[in-house]
Amino acid sequence: MQNRRDFLNMLCRGSILTGLAATTGILVYRSVKGGNCELGSSCTNCGKSDSCDLPEASLFRQTVWQLDPSKCIQCGRCAENCVMSPSAVKVTHVYAMCGYCDLCGGYLKPDTKNISTAAENQLCPTAAIKRKFVEDPFYQYTIDEPLCIGCAKCVKGCGAFGNGSLQLQVRHDRCVNCNECAIARDCPADAFSRVPANKPYLLQGIEAKPEERI
Amino acid sequence: MKQKIIIISAIILLLTLVAFMVKDFFFSKPDNTNPYKFELDDLRKGDTAKAVFTETLQFKTGLEEIHGIAIDLENQIYVAGKEGVEIFNSAGKTLYKINTRSTPQSISVNGNGYILLGIQDHIEIWNRDGKQIARWNSCGPEAVITSIAVQGNNVFAADAGQKVVYRYDKQGKLLNKIGLKDPATSVPGFIIPSPYFDLGISKDGNLWVVNPGRHSFEKYTFDGALLISWSKASMAMEGFCGCCNPSNFAFLNDSLFVTSEKGIERVKIYNTDGTFMAIVATPYQFEAGTKGLDLAVDKQNRILVLDPVKKLIRIFQQK
Amino acid sequence: MKKTLAIVFLVFLFAVQFMNSYAIQRFPKPEFESGYVQPETLLPNPRAEMLAILDIAVLIISLSVVSWLVIKKRNRNAVFWMSVFALAYFGFYREGCVCSIGSIQNVTLAIFDTSYLIPLSAIIFFMAPLVYTAFFGRTFCAAVCPFGAIQDLVAFSPQKLGSRLNAVLGVIPYIYLGLAVLYAATGTDFIICRYDPFVGIWRLDASFGMFIFGGILLVVGIFIARPYCRFLCPYGVLLNWTSRFSRKHITITPAECIQCRLCENSCPYDAIEMPVTTKNPEDKGTMARKLIFITILIPILMLAGGWVGSRLHEPLASVNAKVRLAKQILNPVTEKNQPETFEIEAFKSAGKQQSQAFAEASVVLHKFYIGSWILGGFIGLVFGGLIAGRMMTKHRTDYTPNKGTCLSCVRCVDYCPVKLPK
Repeated sequence: MQNRRDFLNMLCRGSILTGLAATTGILVYRSVKGGNCELGSSCTNCGKSDSCDLPEASLFRQTVWQLDPSKCIQCGRCAENCVMSPSAVKVTHVYAMCGYCDLCGGYLKPDTKNISTAAENQLCPTAAIKRKFVEDPFYQYTIDEPLCIGCAKCVKGCGAFGNGSLQLQVRHDRCVNCNECAIARDCPADAFSRVPANKPYLLQGIEAKPEERI
Repeated sequence: MKQKIIIISAIILLLTLVAFMVKDFFFSKPDNTNPYKFELDDLRKGDTAKAVFTETLQFKTGLEEIHGIAIDLENQIYVAGKEGVEIFNSAGKTLYKINTRSTPQSISVNGNGYILLGIQDHIEIWNRDGKQIARWNSCGPEAVITSIAVQGNNVFAADAGQKVVYRYDKQGKLLNKIGLKDPATSVPGFIIPSPYFDLGISKDGNLWVVNPGRHSFEKYTFDGALLISWSKASMAMEGFCGCCNPSNFAFLNDSLFVTSEKGIERVKIYNTDGTFMAIVATPYQFEAGTKGLDLAVDKQNRILVLDPVKKLIRIFQQK
Repeated sequence: MKKTLAIVFLVFLFAVQFMNSYAIQRFPKPEFESGYVQPETLLPNPRAEMLAILDIAVLIISLSVVSWLVIKKRNRNAVFWMSVFALAYFGFYREGCVCSIGSIQNVTLAIFDTSYLIPLSAIIFFMAPLVYTAFFGRTFCAAVCPFGAIQDLVAFSPQKLGSRLNAVLGVIPYIYLGLAVLYAATGTDFIICRYDPFVGIWRLDASFGMFIFGGILLVVGIFIARPYCRFLCPYGVLLNWTSRFSRKHITITPAECIQCRLCENSCPYDAIEMPVTTKNPEDKGTMARKLIFITILIPILMLAGGWVGSRLHEPLASVNAKVRLAKQILNPVTEKNQPETFEIEAFKSAGKQQSQAFAEASVVLHKFYIGSWILGGFIGLVFGGLIAGRMMTKHRTDYTPNKGTCLSCVRCVDYCPVKLPK
């Protein structure tokens, strides 16, 4: 009696372990063989994923959350829905796209009467954009990141009147990389996706150059 | 007894949590209000007292895209668009259709019935019968000819790519360049962040050029000396909005400026010293994101607006 | 020759076209004369990927140490300190992501969606505790899982619930697991993460609702020990079943049970099974009749469950973003002064076709139809199993931990007077 039960136990245990091993095997096999080349924009769809030497093709990348500014509709949910407060999504200034305009749609309230740095003229609800004179007629705009709440008001203004150099991005020094991103879940534009951790930004207009790894 | 109460209340609490999860997951609706909404509606309306124009006519063209509009001395309407030019009478009836093979971005007509087309980096001259008369030399690999105007023997062309205005003679010989930055003559230089750069000749024969990055109009002599300028930068109705506006303009017969903007799509009228006079069309009359509303004014002082998104020629008249 | 010329000409034409569109879209950059240098756009890096390996190492080492402490050392104190470590590392340092409970969804999604590439850490966090459980029982729950650790700390006054209540509440995790798998497999949502009660505590930052949720669970946990583990945790279901067949398992007594009943009240989780001394063992006939009843009952319950599930597939699918969008396109908001939803706004600005949105939604709906048949059947099976378990009485002589529900916390060991000679 005791022996038979032990044998049955062993059989069940064996099948559980075999099942786990098989699942692991399939997942690992897929990661090694299947569609790795779809990762990242540098994929040339050459079809030879086995011999791909792009960094994306290496095994088992960790993934992080990022949003695609070209899909973003600036609905304001990024500011509200992140588990962090303030949100880990903040505006990122792509200087390479900026027109350095005096009348900046991202900096000034649309109904501003005269152009100045006065608080009542600023579009940003937390005054997180700083304006600095460069030379006639150009002004530089910088984001004071700790103040930014990711509301995308300036993104909308810059997109409507300017070149779209202000873009929302998940800032990875703040993002805790939840297994499921609370903003991604509620993003109406489906702009969020998991991206490989070695290419963690999806900015428009420049090739993202991350800081040196420490 | 006490133990039972504790257990029951704890379990009720636990089940409440489960119920909350179910409710939140299946029955909660995402919030559709944006506390950080970017409000443009007030600016879109403007002062209704100044909205003295009304749309009296609109007509479609046979072209796939439309880029530029011009009026000749006989009050006929020339529309340049994808691979061609279409000519209408003042009621919007097609008279001629020309196939130009390449796509002109800008158009002008001179008194002799010749059509001047700004095609990418050079100017071509065609006649109404669809014959190419001349093809002038390229202005440079980076050139984008966004506007052409003719005055007597002079042809002026605005190049958004190289931020300069060219003055040609009728044969296409380059006479001089206008508007290059020069501190000695206090010419400020054109700031052109996007490919919209317009010029025009006023009734009294002066050359006016938009400096969109400075939201200004600049008046030049034909030799390139800056005479006067006025600017009006504001998001509000009385000014030019955004980084670089106005995108296009035309002269009303009594020398007023008719201007069009992108960002906040609107057509307005200014007098020669830059005083805001009237609203021709408000943003509500255009699709959001419309860019390149080219303008023309005909003999009856009707304002013709080329709407590249709705692909219409829209005619506005004073009420 | 002519052909080549034609091709060259075509290529040239194409090139010219390309140049045209390029020139129009180009934005000439400002030309600075004052020597202004454009600043770089700073982009901070995410957590280094190497640290994921550290997480995996800590997990494996913790599992090994705890298993050794439970099975060999039988030392409650040491297990307690390991759970404090788990709380500190996986809880407060790693802020709860990725955890084994949530990894169910990653694995499910990776199985059903080949475009989702699962990180190695998610696979290992899912597999390793199960493998250890297959050999040593639920040592993961004892002192590696931060969820268990935090609830264990607050279990000041655990009350006995009775076997019936335990069995009924014990059904919730099965339903939770079924739903979690359904929603992960359809790529809809990770509901386990969405309703993670303690993640706000790990981060010391969360919405008010999340704090309340975690707080209430901890308050309940004072009287009902480890409520999440026993009556919610979907991963616990998998561990429970694996543990039933484990090779080794903690025993209350190191030698012979002397039936002293000292351990009877030691388990805060009601996981100690009393001896069942059936005076009148059931006769063969009753046994057979019960068995036949169960073998008929379970398929009927599964079919009924599946049918009910399939009736509910549309409400179940209504939380899917694609289905929701299709619904909103079909029934636009008609109330006055109601702006169009952000979803519709985004759909319009993306310029997608309505037919495409409907096609995507119907694919999802079909998945839900199949999924809810399976889910319903599974829930039917669970209820069938529950009934079967209550009907069948097992003969038992000693005080033993229930291998399924025992969390290997080693509390009971200290109550046993039998000691092995050192």
